Amino acid sequence: MNTTRKTAGAIGLALGLFAASGAAADTIKVGVIAPFSGPFAQYGIQYQQAIETYVAQNGASAGEHEIEFIYKDVGGVNPDQSRSLAQELLIREQVDYLAGFTFTPNALAVGPIITQSETPTVIFNAATSVINKESPFFLRTSYTLWQVSAPMAEWAYDQGLRTVVTTVSDYGPGIDAEVSFKAAFEAKGGEVVDTIRMPLSTTDFTPVIQSVKDQAPDAVFAFLPGGPPTFTYTKTYNENGLRDAGIMFLGTAETEESNLQGLGDMAIGLTTAYHYSAAHDSDLNREFQAKLHELHPDGIINWASVGAYDGVHLIYEMVKAAGSDGPAAVEAVLGMEWESPRGALTMDPETRTVIQNVYIREVERNAETGLLENAEKGVIATVGDLGWDQ
Amino acid sequence: MLRRYGSQYAPAVLMIAVAVAAFFAFPFNLAFLTRILIMIVLVLSLDLVLGYAGIATLGQAAMYGAGAYAAGLFAIHVWADPVAGLLIGALAGAALAALAGLALMRTHGLTLIMLTIAVAQICSEIANRARDITGGADGLRGIRMQPVLGIWEFDFIGRTGYWYAFAVAAVVMVLLAVLVRSPFGLSLRGIHQSPERMLAIGAPVYWRRHAAYTLGGGIAGIAGALTAQITQLVSLETFSFALSAEAMIMLILGGTGRLYGAVIGTVIFMWVHHTAAANDPFNWLFVIGAMVLAVVFFLPTGLISLPPALKRLAKGGRHAGS
Repeated sequence: MNTTRKTAGAIGLALGLFAASGAAADTIKVGVIAPFSGPFAQYGIQYQQAIETYVAQNGASAGEHEIEFIYKDVGGVNPDQSRSLAQELLIREQVDYLAGFTFTPNALAVGPIITQSETPTVIFNAATSVINKESPFFLRTSYTLWQVSAPMAEWAYDQGLRTVVTTVSDYGPGIDAEVSFKAAFEAKGGEVVDTIRMPLSTTDFTPVIQSVKDQAPDAVFAFLPGGPPTFTYTKTYNENGLRDAGIMFLGTAETEESNLQGLGDMAIGLTTAYHYSAAHDSDLNREFQAKLHELHPDGIINWASVGAYDGVHLIYEMVKAAGSDGPAAVEAVLGMEWESPRGALTMDPETRTVIQNVYIREVERNAETGLLENAEKGVIATVGDLGWDQ
Repeated sequence: MLRRYGSQYAPAVLMIAVAVAAFFAFPFNLAFLTRILIMIVLVLSLDLVLGYAGIATLGQAAMYGAGAYAAGLFAIHVWADPVAGLLIGALAGAALAALAGLALMRTHGLTLIMLTIAVAQICSEIANRARDITGGADGLRGIRMQPVLGIWEFDFIGRTGYWYAFAVAAVVMVLLAVLVRSPFGLSLRGIHQSPERMLAIGAPVYWRRHAAYTLGGGIAGIAGALTAQITQLVSLETFSFALSAEAMIMLILGGTGRLYGAVIGTVIFMWVHHTAAANDPFNWLFVIGAMVLAVVFFLPTGLISLPPALKRLAKGGRHAGS
């Protein structure tokens, strides 16, 4: 601890003297703000595991700089806490980069201060387009809701589906999903027959599903937060005969890996559009998963893990290019292309969200492992943040 | 008039000394210290309502959130002056409390608790629905404050924020200190202990409780306005049940019915929370739980009764906590 502090002091001095030389071997700190306790702790745990995996694969230094991660628990949606943690990290710990951020308000709250301190901040999850407009120092390695919902709508139309009912949980992300799906589907010439918003806390979807059945659309688009709602929604979807009636299920993150096994056989055949499946067929993905499971045998791997993994890669590249010079670091990675466990990525210079493949997947049971997985049926689009201009 | 409160000066001077010392001792933690000060204001409002007037509530966040949204919207659309924003926040909190209080103050006990929770939930849902105005689940953003009194800019390290929040907390503290010693404050204590008897001697119990609830709402609104101005973002979580419950725990920890109890409880809870979470971001909740349990078992009247309890323990008394 003592030596780190001394080193930090030395860096401060060195930086003061040779502002942008960056020649000396030093330590660059990265503050990670995420939920590590409470109901959303899974996010923080997955970030940390992905970060450790990247460090195990690539070493603890980028270029001539040592990288050190400092973790801070923000609990849940808590912008006050998020902001004061960011201030503490920047002022006391002297971090040069911030990362993490699961929820939109937590990310928005640090916008003004990272602009002031010129600190590149990598968002691992929060998926609202508007965040990156708050500060030119935000970079996002996750996705935005528009990015996956709009291609889903276009793909559905191309498959010959003409009428859709949307059913979304009544909160910010759900409404974003509804609006983007509807806009894209109607632009193609399809018809959204009905838009149903379901209370966030409900677990009884019978009336919703019945209403969908009565309207007999070609497909039903769903957006739900993970966990129990998804479970009962898919159960109700099957039990009320929507599947038998030929009403196709279209979703995004509903079949994500952390609760996929819990859904059981009733999930088989559900169609989703998303940017990452743990079953993605590439050597890079297999290496990533093998290393992560070597370090954490019980670790769950889903989009949050890969968002953090790619986020760390971005930070390493920024450090290699510009050390602790924030504006130069952001400048250096704009337009950068690299290969990620999810496929090819480009950091869009305009929206600062990654341009990536969106895959169409179907839930299947893997013949070898006997486990459910999101089998990729093909790339349906390679897109940037479609919500940027909305 | 002033001499009557002479004995009250010592703790007040001590608190100012602690605030100044904290400013110099923890120059890197000003953002966190500021959050403690804001929380103190909220817990003080709860102390007036629960500790003095005996109104059991788990929905103090309703007024806190109303104050936060009102101050935030006022700063964005009308005038970004911090002090004016505080007044708007106070008005919004008081107005909501006055309106809800008309119905709430007719109930007691569990019904009252449930209804206060319901009011906060309704407010949260309204803020969620009115997305065009409040930003919904994304939060209300774009709050940029002018300098305090036109002189002190809000700075990056948070010095202005700290002294501003301290000044507000101090003013609230002084106002409450005067209020609880006034005939009005004494009648609240009377109502807390025996509403029937107060009614019998002619005190308008319903309206007194209503006034106390409204005042408490106004103070909670000030706390909300402070947080909106300093964080520059208001989220739906300002209405959350967790916030009301945490404020209640802080108050019980410190000791209800005493203003210094509210202050001590808040400082200790948040400090332990902060230290424990910093040292172990995964298991810190356990430490908080153990602390609250220990206090409730051994010091049922709160941490403020620790010195007398220790004194008694030293003398060999058996019931240290009572």
